[in-house]
Amino acid sequence: MSADSAGHALHAPALVGAAAPSTVWSWLTTVDHKRIGILYGVSAFAFFLLGGVEALLIRLQLAVPNNTLVSAQTYNALFTMHGTTMIFLAIMPLNAMFFNYLVPLLIGARDVAFPRLNALSYWIFLAGGLVLNASLLTGTPPDVGWFGYANLTSLHYSPGLNVDFWIFALQILGVSSVMAAINFIVTILNMRAPGMSMMRMPIFVWMILVVQFLIALAFPPITVGLLFLMFDRFFGTHFYDVAAGADLHLWQHLFWIFGHPEVYILILPAFGIVSEVLPTFARKPLFGAPVMIYSGVLIGFFGFGVWSHHMFAAGMGPVADSAFSIATMLIAIPTGVKIFNWLATLWGGSIRPTTALHFAVGLVGLFTIGGLSGVMHASPPVDLQQTDSYFVVAHLHYVLIGGSLFGLFAGIYYWWPKMTGRLLSEGLGRLSFWLMFVGFNLAFFPQHYLGALGMPRRIYTYRADEGWNAANLASTIGAFGIALAVLVFMINAWRSLRRGAPAPADPWDGRTLEWRTSSPPPPHDFDVIPPIYGRDSFWREKYGPRRGPVPGGAALAEPHGAHSGIHLPAPSHWPLLIALGMLIAAVGGLTHVALVVVGGLWTVYAVVRLALEHHRTPEHAEQTGVLGLDHRKMSMWVFLGSECFFFGTLVATYLAYKGRSVVGPAPHEIFNIPLTSLSTFDLLMSSLLMVLALAAVQRGDQKRAQLWLFGTAFFGLIFLGFQAYEFTDFVHHGFTIQRNLFGSTFFLLTGLHGTHVAIGVFWLLSLWVLALRGRLAAVDATKVEIAGLYWHFVDVVWIAIFTLVYLIP
Amino acid sequence: MSSARRAAWGAPGLALTLGGCAWDAPMSTVIARSDLARDILHVYGIITWVSVGIALVVGFGIAWVLVRFRERPGTPQIPAQVRGHTLLEIAWTIVPALILLAIAIPTIQVIFRTQPQAAPRDSLDVTVYGHQWWWEFQYPTLEVVTANELHVPVGRRVTLTLQGPDVIHSFWVPRLGGKRDVVPGRLNRITFTADTPGEYRGQCAEFCGVSHANMAMRVIVDTPDAFARWVTQQKKDPAETVGLAAEGKAIFARSACVGCHTIRGVSSGTLGPDLTTFGSRGTLAAGILPVSVDTVAAWLKNPPALKPDAKMPALGLTDAQARAVATYLIELK
Repeated sequence: MSADSAGHALHAPALVGAAAPSTVWSWLTTVDHKRIGILYGVSAFAFFLLGGVEALLIRLQLAVPNNTLVSAQTYNALFTMHGTTMIFLAIMPLNAMFFNYLVPLLIGARDVAFPRLNALSYWIFLAGGLVLNASLLTGTPPDVGWFGYANLTSLHYSPGLNVDFWIFALQILGVSSVMAAINFIVTILNMRAPGMSMMRMPIFVWMILVVQFLIALAFPPITVGLLFLMFDRFFGTHFYDVAAGADLHLWQHLFWIFGHPEVYILILPAFGIVSEVLPTFARKPLFGAPVMIYSGVLIGFFGFGVWSHHMFAAGMGPVADSAFSIATMLIAIPTGVKIFNWLATLWGGSIRPTTALHFAVGLVGLFTIGGLSGVMHASPPVDLQQTDSYFVVAHLHYVLIGGSLFGLFAGIYYWWPKMTGRLLSEGLGRLSFWLMFVGFNLAFFPQHYLGALGMPRRIYTYRADEGWNAANLASTIGAFGIALAVLVFMINAWRSLRRGAPAPADPWDGRTLEWRTSSPPPPHDFDVIPPIYGRDSFWREKYGPRRGPVPGGAALAEPHGAHSGIHLPAPSHWPLLIALGMLIAAVGGLTHVALVVVGGLWTVYAVVRLALEHHRTPEHAEQTGVLGLDHRKMSMWVFLGSECFFFGTLVATYLAYKGRSVVGPAPHEIFNIPLTSLSTFDLLMSSLLMVLALAAVQRGDQKRAQLWLFGTAFFGLIFLGFQAYEFTDFVHHGFTIQRNLFGSTFFLLTGLHGTHVAIGVFWLLSLWVLALRGRLAAVDATKVEIAGLYWHFVDVVWIAIFTLVYLIP
Repeated sequence: MSSARRAAWGAPGLALTLGGCAWDAPMSTVIARSDLARDILHVYGIITWVSVGIALVVGFGIAWVLVRFRERPGTPQIPAQVRGHTLLEIAWTIVPALILLAIAIPTIQVIFRTQPQAAPRDSLDVTVYGHQWWWEFQYPTLEVVTANELHVPVGRRVTLTLQGPDVIHSFWVPRLGGKRDVVPGRLNRITFTADTPGEYRGQCAEFCGVSHANMAMRVIVDTPDAFARWVTQQKKDPAETVGLAAEGKAIFARSACVGCHTIRGVSSGTLGPDLTTFGSRGTLAAGILPVSVDTVAAWLKNPPALKPDAKMPALGLTDAQARAVATYLIELK
């Protein structure tokens, strides 16, 4: 194994058949996508059990009227934690388990684009899960619902640490998700095997791709919404302060602009799994695969246009109600198409009733019911009776359990042999399925009645004469049926791991590439990158017809032999340490600001070490992918797309709140336009210097590179200096972030922009230092290029801010 | 089609479809007693019929396919690898779109009919304040203030303007129509005409804190005469008290009660419900208990025990004092 001068392990040439070490440290430092997938899966399952216990306590409390099993306060925390846990700590990471394990295998790659960032996403996710559940240990779990409506979440109405735990946990989890989204977008677009065009990709990979775009674009609005809440609670701003002129609908809009795409984030992977499982066990291709792809993309796209169907009771007015109603109904069309295409896939097939198939078919039926109740909710008049009642609880569990969870279990039973090398018992699997199917329907079908009979949501008890008793008792019994089903699965899993029958590479006569390698795959996934013969490439390889390479596609298969030069990414301990730093900072936010500083500095240090870890690794110098774009450049573009939504939300809030401040000053009374014009000019010039810097690096001119890199950073510092002067001047005149609504929106928007500039300055100075040490050669130009992209973007955002905030009256 | 005929299709249709269970629960959403509720039920019925129909078609489709095409010794090991059928896929894109159109049209019609842009003239206006965790009702034109029990006359348009001094609540009386949020800083409106005298139960429907579950209300739809009598009664000064009630009044007047509650002629606090005509209400503590000396006394002794985190504290009254005050309050009609 080769090492660099500091003794760090460089890429270890892999030996075919060599097993990965199984020490704890090897798991803590792994960057192997398969191991990261297993880490996600095990953690997510543990959180799933925790969320399930919370659900059982809820159902026990509601089994009979006027029950006193838990107090009102405990109950409110239970449903808050149950919802938050199941969505963010169970379903999403169980999906991530499959993304991580399978995407490289399905596209014929050996790992994801950024293996260490992949590991980092996992450890940050774990930190977020620990922060959320630490609130149980302190006796202050969040108790405001998983949706946390303002102003119940304000410091005045929720004075304890409960909401703070919730805010920090969600922000941490958001970082994990968006980072992974960027990683998988680049992987799927840029690392497909030669011959695998986009349309030849498995449908599951397409669904995953759509989900990653949803994550990258939907999380920024809630990140901003949570920042507003955090600033209100910690720093006295007024984003959700009605007395200061705020509009409480702002939280709802920001939350649901995230929240609705989130439900597609939760369900599209399950749809993708069904689209793999049904064809395999019907022995037929997916019916209408292109349409399944287009409908998935359409659902993702339109999913951004329906969010206010969660607000039909909020009083938006008839025009908004109608628009969102129509948009919501439109989404039912591509969703319905999927149901029919799945049925047509089974039609004419030779159906093998494996457990995986049971769960996949279960999804088709149960999601139909959930989708239909969703269509009912799409009509505002009807929704005004149904929303905030148990009818919605029935709907959401039909789509999330009947949909997402059944899909996940289909995937678990389908890919278990591949991931563990063992078979699960079909008998126990069938038993678990029926227990879950019956238990689930018993638990949740009666809740449609409860909703129709007027039982509101989120009530810890109900009176005995409401007519809700029998349905609640039935629902509780059903919930325990689900629990039993999970228990049977766990027994099945345990027995399989201990002494299950060994699984062959292709136990199901599969259609896709993961079945082409051993069970489990070797560390390097494929001895030889597989040839691609069309969609369902492996099936075509076995049974034909084989299609040729796509026009312009590269030659089939690697020219090298099996044992030569497969370089695997080396393990790294920096992802773990970065996540630990973030955890410390979060704990500091809940306890003492000193820990925030410690955690923050630790995180920054670890990030720098991660960034420089492979600075001189030859394999990292050039990372051009299938689309002809460097991975890092593509990732920066995706990140900037995410940032567009981030700054867009901040600017939109500024504009929405314009003129609503109850006290002065107003913008025109306080802005110094000439001065700000100067600083804007300075920032524009800095972009020019950045261009010169990149050109210098690209032609290997180290001296000029140093000059222009420093120049750019210097101009950035001047800009920050102007901003510091402006802020100080404002504060001296009594205009602070707490002064009024204008202060809150202005300072947060420009302050966050300034933070971006500061991060850019730090980045540029780091590059400058590298250049000074002669370690920034022409081969490192891409690193400077992505810094340049970032810098120009921050510049463009400033132009938008300057225009919309300063110039336009 | 009149709203009564529409409801005639909707309500029994729903009941028949959904199996004829007991639908007359107090909070039932499928029993309509106002024009708003009937309009809603009309659309509800259409969508329910359509949904059940689709569910049955898909359900039978799944069952049939699984039976007909299961793997059998005789079936070809690898069936024909059919990849799609464009015409079929177009068909099952267009047909659902048409079905949705059939749902969308009445939906949009009812949205605009039930949310008039301007406040309707000639309606009885009531301002509703949602508090943690009780309802305040003020009739500006009638100069009546009460809590937790709303009286409205049958056959007359009523417009509720929803305001919130604290957090978001939601006003929901299912038999009289859908819900509408009470959003601090905004004015939301519900307008309806009740068509049947009676008592209707309602409950807060937006999570608003610890005792969200304990924020119920009653709406009493009166005949015009009964409503006029009720209004007169609300505006009368409380009668003189004797005996235990007089004792209770004395305790009330010297306790912290006066800081939060209004009883005309005795106190003028506004943090809690107006109690001037408390005895004319059938329930207390926002609809969670029936009114009797026992229940009222229990409430007075320890409100948070009955309504967790209630803003009304235990005042340290003895049993006898509590019963005296309860007797007084129940006599306030």
